[in-house]
Amino acid sequence: MSTEPAKLLEEEGFSYLTCIQCGTCTGSCPSGRHTSLNTRRIVLSARRNRDVYHDKDLWMCTTCYQCQERCPRGIRIVDGILTLRAESVHMGLMLPDHRKVAGLMIDKGHAVPINDDGRAKRKELGMDELPETVHKHPQALDQVKKLLELTGFMQLVTDEGTENS
Amino acid sequence: MRIGVYICHCGSNIAGNLDVESVREFAGSLSDVVVSKDINYACGDQGQDEIKKDIQELDLDRIVVAACSPRLHEVTFRRMAQAAGLNPYLVEMVNIREQCSWVHRDAYHYATQKAKDLVAMGVARARLLNPLTVESVPANRDVLVIGGGVTGIQAALNLADSGIKVHLVERDSTIGGWMARLNDVFPTNDCSMCVLAPKMTEAADHPNITLHTYSEIQDITGHIGNFHISVVHKPRYVDVSKCKGCIELCGSVCPIEVPVEVDGGLSLRKAIYLPMSQAVPFVAVVDPEHCVGCGLCVKACEPEAIDINQKEELVEFDVGAIIVATGYHLFDASRKPEYGYGIVKNVITSMELEQMLNASGPTQGRLVRPSNGREAKRVAFIQCVGSRDETVGNPYCSRVCCMAAIKNAGLIMNKNPENHVTVHYIDIRAGGENYEEYYIRQQEKGVEFIRGRVASVKEVDGEAVITYEDTMTGEIVDSTVDLVVLSVGLEPNTKADNIVDYLNLSRRPDRFIQVAHPKMRPVDTHTRGVFVAGCASGPKEIQVSIAQGMAASARAQGLLSSGSIQKDVMGVRLVDELCNGCRLCEEVCTYGRIKVIDGKAVVDELTCGGCGTCAAACPRGALQVRHSTDEQILAQVRAATEDIRETPLIIGFLCNWCSYAAADLAGTQGVSYSTNIRNIRVMCAGRVNPSFVLEALKGGADGVLVAGCRLGECHYISGNARAQQRMDVLKDVLAELGIDPGRVRTAWVAASEAGKFAGEVSRFVEDLEIMGAIGSELDK
Amino acid sequence: MSKLSFFLGCIAPNRYPGIEAATIKTLEKLGTELVDLEGASCCPAPGVFRSFDKITWLALASRNVTLSEEMGLDILTVCNGCFGSLVDANNIMKEDPELKEEVNKILKEIGHEFKGTIEVRHIIEYLSREVGPEKIKAAVTIPMDLNVALHYGCHLVKPSKERHLGSVENPRFFDELVEATGATSVDYEDKMACCGAGGGARTAVLEPSLQMAVNKLEHMKAAGVDCIIDACPFCHLQFDVGQTEIKKKFDKVYDLPVLHYSQLLGLAMGLPLNELGINQNLIINEEFNKKIERIRGGANE
Repeated sequence: MSTEPAKLLEEEGFSYLTCIQCGTCTGSCPSGRHTSLNTRRIVLSARRNRDVYHDKDLWMCTTCYQCQERCPRGIRIVDGILTLRAESVHMGLMLPDHRKVAGLMIDKGHAVPINDDGRAKRKELGMDELPETVHKHPQALDQVKKLLELTGFMQLVTDEGTENS
Repeated sequence: MRIGVYICHCGSNIAGNLDVESVREFAGSLSDVVVSKDINYACGDQGQDEIKKDIQELDLDRIVVAACSPRLHEVTFRRMAQAAGLNPYLVEMVNIREQCSWVHRDAYHYATQKAKDLVAMGVARARLLNPLTVESVPANRDVLVIGGGVTGIQAALNLADSGIKVHLVERDSTIGGWMARLNDVFPTNDCSMCVLAPKMTEAADHPNITLHTYSEIQDITGHIGNFHISVVHKPRYVDVSKCKGCIELCGSVCPIEVPVEVDGGLSLRKAIYLPMSQAVPFVAVVDPEHCVGCGLCVKACEPEAIDINQKEELVEFDVGAIIVATGYHLFDASRKPEYGYGIVKNVITSMELEQMLNASGPTQGRLVRPSNGREAKRVAFIQCVGSRDETVGNPYCSRVCCMAAIKNAGLIMNKNPENHVTVHYIDIRAGGENYEEYYIRQQEKGVEFIRGRVASVKEVDGEAVITYEDTMTGEIVDSTVDLVVLSVGLEPNTKADNIVDYLNLSRRPDRFIQVAHPKMRPVDTHTRGVFVAGCASGPKEIQVSIAQGMAASARAQGLLSSGSIQKDVMGVRLVDELCNGCRLCEEVCTYGRIKVIDGKAVVDELTCGGCGTCAAACPRGALQVRHSTDEQILAQVRAATEDIRETPLIIGFLCNWCSYAAADLAGTQGVSYSTNIRNIRVMCAGRVNPSFVLEALKGGADGVLVAGCRLGECHYISGNARAQQRMDVLKDVLAELGIDPGRVRTAWVAASEAGKFAGEVSRFVEDLEIMGAIGSELDK
Repeated sequence: MSKLSFFLGCIAPNRYPGIEAATIKTLEKLGTELVDLEGASCCPAPGVFRSFDKITWLALASRNVTLSEEMGLDILTVCNGCFGSLVDANNIMKEDPELKEEVNKILKEIGHEFKGTIEVRHIIEYLSREVGPEKIKAAVTIPMDLNVALHYGCHLVKPSKERHLGSVENPRFFDELVEATGATSVDYEDKMACCGAGGGARTAVLEPSLQMAVNKLEHMKAAGVDCIIDACPFCHLQFDVGQTEIKKKFDKVYDLPVLHYSQLLGLAMGLPLNELGINQNLIINEEFNKKIERIRGGANE
């Protein structure tokens, strides 16, 4: 069961109740010019406990923080959106491309792992083909995998939940 | 000692709910009581006459009246005593109605017992009462008004008209303040100077007003009735008595040009200039920062008024009261970089627009684009610049900007109905007489109101582009306009910080000067004899500022009308030989009314409010509140615990203003609660010395309640917070002694919160029942 | 010689290794030694992983921090995203004892413990505060007479309450570093706007993400710049790969070379283009390359 948006935000300490719907956030949003994202409405919907978790607009935010910087009431809008997203993911709602990236993380320890092209570029620059990251250190990768298992992340990514995205 | 005790029936109000006769009989048994009577209505003429007769015939020297709340009739019985030749402060009232019979209607026996205890406490206190006389000191009847804006001018005129001598001190070289810089003013569209200039002239010409322009307050010492003021007249390098204000001769030869700040540098002035065309006094001033000292003006001036060697001059005088009308300053628009002020050329502030719209302003009233001087037809007003904005630390509304923008938008439409004017707002605040109607009229002219705070302003191809969400439609809009007007908010005048310090005023969290009570005492400050008016205490329109100037003058006038100032008999007094100069009192007096001088505390008795927070802090008992001494309070505590007949027993210390009033209100509203509490009235919770609490517990009380105003609402600024701190420390001490710290409880109750008070008492009783009798925890 | 551990992240080592190489070489010349942070993982990317599960994000980031704690070194990042994740995580772990306990329980299982002993630095912030433009200017051998469009990126300066790097509307510290190399930072419209890649947008909603990049590229192009200078491999990728995608999707061509600041600094310190991996970008602008050669040649005469 998901937590109601208003309750969730309150628990996380977001002062969204004092939003005056002035639109500074929306006017400052680079994404909102090209997408249906309206940050002001997300805050309002959350406040009114509407189902924002199924709202795809949540994922249009580039987390540039411009809205949060300019909010005259000091509401941590982006941090709030991240919290709403996490709840949505825990309901099993994850965009397919994000699920792929999460899978890479589980397998390789990198969201953007090395590929043939990357190896070739490194070689060309006189560098080792693999960087000194988990790519080169298998025990370290094991640590990452174990960590992801302990936090339940593997489960979260593989289990598509009750609701499919 | 000969004490008379009178138990009032108050009809059936008291007598219906407790056994008056039994209380009377009990009172009679107390030592020093020579007469104990019950009276049907003590406050009535008949009742009062009876007591008066006893005072005279029986030679009574203390009177205890057990009746209603002292908040209701204490004054009545004091007058009665005075009439009978007894010092009025030798009367003690015992509250057996609001705090006994009315709240314990179904507990006849317990209510009677409680009334007896309260009477015993009253008698114990009465024994220790001292006769007090109201002392007064002669007061200077002159008044200082600081700030020559419209508020200060109005205050000065009102005082002067009623025959009071006024010193009006203004930092600038002319009086008039911000209002003199405005074009037309809402909601009537009068030309600002047309309505202000006559007042400026009148102030300058008034025989009772001494004008100190171009002057700074250098120091203020003393207190109510006798403030000593030092003012510095800065050199203007022009002899005021000789200058005719022609400015032609001197100004035309001056080689220096300086941009005029207030109109955003749209026009220039010389290094010798008239601050404005209708300056008062109408004399030139030399700007020493830019003057190169060439001396051309000296030669050009026919009346020989220019004196390059002029020095500053110190002037000193005394006044009895002070009105602070130091106004505001405008929010610096460059602190909102996203609005491009100073970067995007066609962005100006609302004050710069006032200059531009003014027919005698830098553009002769033409509305232009600063970038190219061409006519501006598309104008956007951005509201709440520096107001309602936590990112710049100003969460408050500046109150005047909505109406000012509406006014200017309308004026721009008047110039040309084809102009396109938008006002970008969060909420329109038009809450004044005729304001909404005024708003409607400007809407009818075609001014467009767009709801949504503008996100940013940028320059694209030399033009200003504003970006905003129209929150009514959810559209994000980029709009190119000719002129962007930033409606800048009002901030506290930081240049008045020295005044605030000299007078020991406090500032609110919004940094404006705090008034004594936000509703009931709007022009009083926490410093006796000092009043505040206009924008110094928060943003206000002209109309309200003028009203406050008038109010402050009336307050000052009332204070000084008798030519003397009465000391508060309730104030604090120093027992000289006990003080060792430890300075604890200095620290706790929020008002700064105690100073340690030569190793001894000195109390400013004229301005002491009598909260007693210092007395509670003094480790040696050297500070005593005249009508609330340690011994008087301890006597009440001891009387309450001498013969405990009801358990658990709570001793309550209630502040006069809120918690005691809440307890009274519980009575008025018939909110009942447990009978187990015996209340002691103090002026402030800060008066409660932890030793009082210990005395109560030692005497066998099971719990102690210390109640005051809600935190942040203390009538003495922070006495309740101080009490909270002390009780927290005391609880730690109790815990160490093995006493349950839960036996000491604090409650912060507003005067209106009768139910909350009643609930606190009943809950406390329940908890104490679980805890068991005092000391039982030591056996465990 | 100052010493920092070098947190590589994902995109720099795996897609644009030139940034990794340039950083090591240039910082060495400025007296800062970078030590490999062996076994580090993805930071993890704030927009995506922080959006999925806070504890996972926090635990992974904390693991990376502990690797450096164990070496007794502060961390250097060359990426705004890594900086954001690691700084935020480091601060949360230092300030919230409950979360610290919860995360340390997990870290204990894999042999680490977060102690809170180090700081996380970003190359731009580090150079600005610890080295300073004057010292950089002194280390420049070939002043880069270029007009550049500087892109701060978002997470370098925002949220300002966490970053404490001054103005987010008109910051100057990065411009000063760019100008220390001899280049001119040209003002352009929406300079502080987002590249569009972050928050998982590039991954999940490519088209609007690219539209945001188009907005930036249009304004940069209009300002007549020679190249873009960034401080983040993800912004770098968005501008570089993005230009090829934009060409396909919207038929718009900008041909703007994209350089990480470390690469610009490398050029100014006399390193050739190919050692800095600048031509490993998808966008290769011959005219730009010639200009660089001209500047280098001019300096050698």
